[in-house]
Amino acid sequence: MSLLEIIILLPLLAALVTWLGSPARITALAASLLNLVLVGWAFLNYQSLHGADGAMAFRHARTVLTSPHIQFAVGADGLSLTMALLTVLVTLAALWSLVDKERIYYTSTLLIASGALGAFLCTDIFFLYAFHELALIPTFLMIALFGHGDKKDAAWRITIYLGVGSLILLAGLLGVVWYCSPEKGKLTFDLLALKPLAADAPYAKYAAANFFVLLVGFGTLVSLFPFHSWAAPAYAAAPTPIAMMHAGVLKKFGLYGLIRIALPLLPTGANTPWVQHALLYMLLGNILVMGFVTLHQRRLDGLLANSSVMHMGYIFLGLASGNALGQNGAVLLMFAHGISVALLFMLCGRLRNQLGTLEFDKLGGLAANAPFLSLIFGVGAFASIGLPGLANFAGEVLIFLSTFKNFQASEGFTFLQITTILSLWGVVISAVYMLRAYRKIFFGQPSAGHFMSDPSLLQRVPMFLLAAVLLVVGLYPAILLNVVQVSLAATGLK
Amino acid sequence: MLENYLPVLMQMLMAAGFAGVTLLASVLAGKSAKRNKMKDSAYECGMLPLGEAQPRFSVKFYIVAMLFVLFDIEVVFMYPWAVIFKDYVAVFGAAIFWWMLSFVGILLVAFLYAWRKKALDWSS
Amino acid sequence: MSPLSLELGLGLLGLVLLLVESFASVPRKLIAYAAIGGLLAALAVIVSGAAGSVPDSLKEFYVVDPLALFYKGFAIIATLATIILSLEYAPIIHQFVATHPERTKEAGLGEFYSLPLFVCVGMMVMASAVDLITIFVALELVTVSFYVLVAFMRRSAASLEAGVKYLILGALSTGLLVYGMSWLYGMTGELSLSGVAYKLAHWEGNSAPILFAVGLMLAGLAFKVGAVPFHIWIPDVYQGAPTPVTAFLSVGSKAAGFVVLTRIVGTFLTPGSVVAGPVIQILLILGGATILLGNLAAIAQTNFKRLLGYSSIAHAGYLLVALACIHTGGLKMTSGEVAAFYLATYLPMTFVCFLILSAMRAKGYGEDIASLKGLGRANPTLGLALAIALASLAGLPLTAGFMGKFFVIFATVLEGYYTYLAIAVIGAATGFFYYFKVILAVYSKPDGPSEGPTPDLGLLSKVSLAVFVAAILVVGVYPDLIRFALVK
Repeated sequence: MSLLEIIILLPLLAALVTWLGSPARITALAASLLNLVLVGWAFLNYQSLHGADGAMAFRHARTVLTSPHIQFAVGADGLSLTMALLTVLVTLAALWSLVDKERIYYTSTLLIASGALGAFLCTDIFFLYAFHELALIPTFLMIALFGHGDKKDAAWRITIYLGVGSLILLAGLLGVVWYCSPEKGKLTFDLLALKPLAADAPYAKYAAANFFVLLVGFGTLVSLFPFHSWAAPAYAAAPTPIAMMHAGVLKKFGLYGLIRIALPLLPTGANTPWVQHALLYMLLGNILVMGFVTLHQRRLDGLLANSSVMHMGYIFLGLASGNALGQNGAVLLMFAHGISVALLFMLCGRLRNQLGTLEFDKLGGLAANAPFLSLIFGVGAFASIGLPGLANFAGEVLIFLSTFKNFQASEGFTFLQITTILSLWGVVISAVYMLRAYRKIFFGQPSAGHFMSDPSLLQRVPMFLLAAVLLVVGLYPAILLNVVQVSLAATGLK
Repeated sequence: MLENYLPVLMQMLMAAGFAGVTLLASVLAGKSAKRNKMKDSAYECGMLPLGEAQPRFSVKFYIVAMLFVLFDIEVVFMYPWAVIFKDYVAVFGAAIFWWMLSFVGILLVAFLYAWRKKALDWSS
Repeated sequence: MSPLSLELGLGLLGLVLLLVESFASVPRKLIAYAAIGGLLAALAVIVSGAAGSVPDSLKEFYVVDPLALFYKGFAIIATLATIILSLEYAPIIHQFVATHPERTKEAGLGEFYSLPLFVCVGMMVMASAVDLITIFVALELVTVSFYVLVAFMRRSAASLEAGVKYLILGALSTGLLVYGMSWLYGMTGELSLSGVAYKLAHWEGNSAPILFAVGLMLAGLAFKVGAVPFHIWIPDVYQGAPTPVTAFLSVGSKAAGFVVLTRIVGTFLTPGSVVAGPVIQILLILGGATILLGNLAAIAQTNFKRLLGYSSIAHAGYLLVALACIHTGGLKMTSGEVAAFYLATYLPMTFVCFLILSAMRAKGYGEDIASLKGLGRANPTLGLALAIALASLAGLPLTAGFMGKFFVIFATVLEGYYTYLAIAVIGAATGFFYYFKVILAVYSKPDGPSEGPTPDLGLLSKVSLAVFVAAILVVGVYPDLIRFALVK
């Protein structure tokens, strides 16, 4: 049993033990703490061992099926370790922030964590896909059973959208496997084996279509613009830990898949003009359309949910830039957004529990009684806007810079650069709505009948943890970029 | 292309034709005269009809009828066996007798079952 | 030891049990245990590989290849599960069979435990049959036994209605099948499938009559497996029949239909066959329509048994598409083996659903989806088992059901049938919707204020439930477990 297998199976095991009746909180927290240590150890070790060449490390494979060749293969490079780190951090925070909740909250959060870790750490397309699906089941169930507001409708919407999306994705992945196979008798799902095959794949003319199918499949999972309408209601309705896990971690799987599978294996597809243009239009939809939708939200949960959809646009912009700089920025922003949105959803859940309402009109002046909470919320909100010094800023700056990498004034702006300029307005939009929300909730006239207190010291730990990560990465992004950069270069991205 | 289906069409026409001709013949040959109530009634050679036109029969009739069909069918197998028995007994010896006996044995089980389940008991 | 002796042995056991039932007044449970013992012994022989070959004189009618052995094992396991399920369901059977249920204890149960043996024998013979007559006789043994089983609860109007519907449509489909067979025999002069295949590959001249025969036979078999548009009988019959029989129908009868289809389609699609093109088209269109209609119609169902009926229609669609994808070299499986694999994954998940349905029914719950509410709290083990089975039916990864669908979808990709790939994807996505509806019900709070009795299972059922759930999970990550049994 290799290290990564233990990391994946540990939460699963903890979920099982919890379900069987062990003390839920202790088991879950112990497992997630241990996992944080393990992932952290792997991350540091990777940096010292493979920090230079960015190769896949900690590899281990068990053959499951000989033909087509499917293995339970795990392996990690800087990219996957960054995502794994995000997962364990958010998991720990989500579990810690649970107060007086039923057992099923712990089991489902652990299940989602296990699925996400499996998705990020498997190097076999089959299991990478399968683990993500595993994580979706508890998500659906928890929203439908313990959600808020219009939970049934939201649950059905996310089930159908993500169900269809992941099946389209499956079709696309099978297409990639088929596309990369030199002869039909030898089909393999091993990512590392596919990579050299992809270079001289025999069906070059299908590359663009195949990439587009993958983009739609992965894009649905990440709420890319026309396939996004599941996300906002689902996050608004979801129980707090589920919203944290899905918006913070699981959603990033779609982007991870694009970087890990679609871009390296189908580079010609990604560079096809019509595909690029389609992607740019879609991400503009995310940033501008969803930006305006967010502006008009009257409740905090709706605002956070929609802004999380909106911010996906920047990450897609990083991917669309077509160069390493943009992709590094995208990975950094994935991490930062995951942490910041998880933090905001955690605080939002706290407000909902104590106040019973999240409508801006009914709230105000909370900072007077809850200074710590307002400070932490400020960190999350400013990170989300992209204030310098917090993690999101580093990612966004890299992305914006990357699109102007090949800019020559004599040739004028390309479509990509025009998109970037339009996207910059998104920053303004998000500043407007975030600051407005912050002001309405925490400052101004205290509302009658709504009293908010600061959390106990113990409950401050997860908030502090996430906020600290935002600060550290914001001030010193190289801690992640060092390993991400070389690993992305090793996957063959120019 | 379509003329390829001629045999199929012919088979269908023959099936339909046979049924049609039979029905037509019964219409033409029977019931030729005008009907009235008097003519339809039993005349001098029967009882006046009483009760429902389609009375319910006891389920026993069906059981007996089914059992009859089942045990009757066995002759289909026994008859050809009996015909070739002499030729084949020279080849296979007594085995050919036991083969048929095993078949009859299965039927015997069915018979015993029917007997114990009182399917043959008219009075109960 | 010839596999034929297994069939003879099991048939003999069935006859003996019928006699015991009618002559001796032993507890009826003993009859069930005897049947289970016999089936286990037969399974042991097949698994151990002791079932050898048959004499050459029989090879025209009866072959023993890996596929045949696989389906034989499949038949035995399905029958075992059915009898165990029947033990669970016995009180309901008794209630609807006995003339005075309050005076007798076990009236009518003896036959209910022994009849599945005859179905099993029929399915086992069918697995090996490569001759039109043998196929037909075996198929009839299965079907006739099922007529009795479906209408077994003679004091339940629903069961009788189901019986009559099944009888009439079954007879009609048998008629179509036999008529097609007679045309095929008339045109080729051959009864053995190998002979027919040879004639089809070297056919010169008019192929229309053969197509006619093919069409009739496929229509007849489509009835048996419940493919659209020959599926109308399924929901009513599934809902009305006793639950163990419904389970047996949806697994056993379907598998029987598909083993015959595999053999016959294999004959029609023999290299150079004149009817290969149309047969593939027919299978694809039937399969596509079946996937779509089965899944879409399942959405509106409120009765769990009926929902499983529609889901079984939908699964038949995937199987038909699998049979049409003949260039599956990349999977190292023939199309028939892909279908067999799919059926093998379908067995455990269906039986888990029906086991739990029986347990609920025996405690006086209804068969509506709504009556499952609260199961997750009342009996978490059963709730989790049901959730896993339903997730597998929906085709979620890391369950057996996903592997089945995975191979079928992969086969369509390899073959380039993108339309049917899209249909399969749409069908699977629809599946998510209605299976999750049931999972949600399992974990919802019960409607009523008071909690009903806790549903539970007997020891044998618990063991089989555990085995099936384990099979779902293990095959989900290690599909070669089944493939090794299938591909030698």
